[in-house]
Amino acid sequence: MAPTLVNAAFGALIAAALLGAAFDRRAVAIVVAAAVLPDLDAVASLAVPGATNALLHAVWLPLAAGGVLYWDTRLRDASRLRERVGWRGVRVAWVALAAFLVAGVGPDLFGGEGVNLLYPLHDAYYLVDGGFVVSTRDGVVQTFVSVGAQGPGILPLETLGTTESYAIPTFANPDGRPGFSLGAERELSLVRTGWQLVVVASAVASLAVRFRREGRTNPAEDVAEVSR
Amino acid sequence: MVSSVVHAGFALLLAAGLLGDYYDRRALAVVLVVVVVPEADSFLGFVMPGAHRTVGHNLVLPAAAAALLYYDTRLRERSALRERLADRWIAVAWVGLFVHAFAHVSLDWIHLEGVNAFWPLRDRFYALDGEILLSTADGFVQTFVDLRTDPETGTRTVDAGATGTTKTVHVNNPVEPRDPDEVTDEPVNRIFPIANAGWRLYLIGTGLFVLAARRLQDRTPADGER
Repeated sequence: MAPTLVNAAFGALIAAALLGAAFDRRAVAIVVAAAVLPDLDAVASLAVPGATNALLHAVWLPLAAGGVLYWDTRLRDASRLRERVGWRGVRVAWVALAAFLVAGVGPDLFGGEGVNLLYPLHDAYYLVDGGFVVSTRDGVVQTFVSVGAQGPGILPLETLGTTESYAIPTFANPDGRPGFSLGAERELSLVRTGWQLVVVASAVASLAVRFRREGRTNPAEDVAEVSR
Repeated sequence: MVSSVVHAGFALLLAAGLLGDYYDRRALAVVLVVVVVPEADSFLGFVMPGAHRTVGHNLVLPAAAAALLYYDTRLRERSALRERLADRWIAVAWVGLFVHAFAHVSLDWIHLEGVNAFWPLRDRFYALDGEILLSTADGFVQTFVDLRTDPETGTRTVDAGATGTTKTVHVNNPVEPRDPDEVTDEPVNRIFPIANAGWRLYLIGTGLFVLAARRLQDRTPADGER
């Protein structure tokens, strides 16, 4: 998986971009937590073989959550969620879902260690990596999507293997296989390449700007928040 | 250059988070112009060797612009800008500076030979590359900046990824696809990259996702209904 710090940074950027009037410290914390959540399947891999980047990275959980959220807030006559947590709560729920998918799963799928998108219905790790250039000699060259590629996958993407053949080493599980290996050397990646450092720095700077502005413009709203 | 499309995607993500009440088409258009214009230094390459990634890709000019903007709009008693521009455009100018530094210069800093970060004060290209990790064997490890002490002379050297000066570095771009000093018979191949790695496609996609999500979101209800 991409470093969890990078997932959190993208989560923070999405929180700043999409929360709108629901933006406050607590809402940002929830959205960032949702972006970090998928990486917890590395812990599950200690018991379930090959759960890393599969169990919580598959599309089914967010699809189901999105369906329920849509049904409750848009289709039903009276939304239970809105009754309980109000407009803000509904907004935070949608943005947290977006962060789970885009910030939590996305960086692993695009050039990370790959994601087992359809697990457990269909077992294959997918990776979107390649190039898309226009050149005066070769015209348009695109290698992200490969139709009819070899491998276990059913989506037209590069596949890395199945839970049997492909193990992802993580801090929680250094060899990627079930069972504790207490003596093994563990590495916790914070930033793996330059661009990830740029993303983390941008997220920190963005949040700093937003929190400062928030504190300056609506102290009155914070008071109202407390009294409610 | 990292493709302008990638810069634009990341810029949209950042701008959506920072524009606040001023988020609209016109503000986004200004941000996109800010992203594209620095690439014009590719054309200066014909008159000034090594101009690309130097004139439009340093941290000195944006810092100077930020200082001027701060002085004029905050410190002066009568601001020349505030008399001519509405508050919204001053806010957009700040966002433009932020986006230029983080979505443009920073992303090029990590790509190929990097950027001439301190030009015109100092003529030296820097390329940022490395990783940061915590390891149970080695503790905290970072390889972005290489600090070394020579065991014999005791002098300390700092290597932050310097790659050369405007005289020695030419960063290939569609306008000048190869170093003009290089003599070769090969036909010219101009490459216009759109996304040359998975993560660059991801940045484009995330920018577009945020644009779409902002359109689909319901309006913020008035205070009474929240």
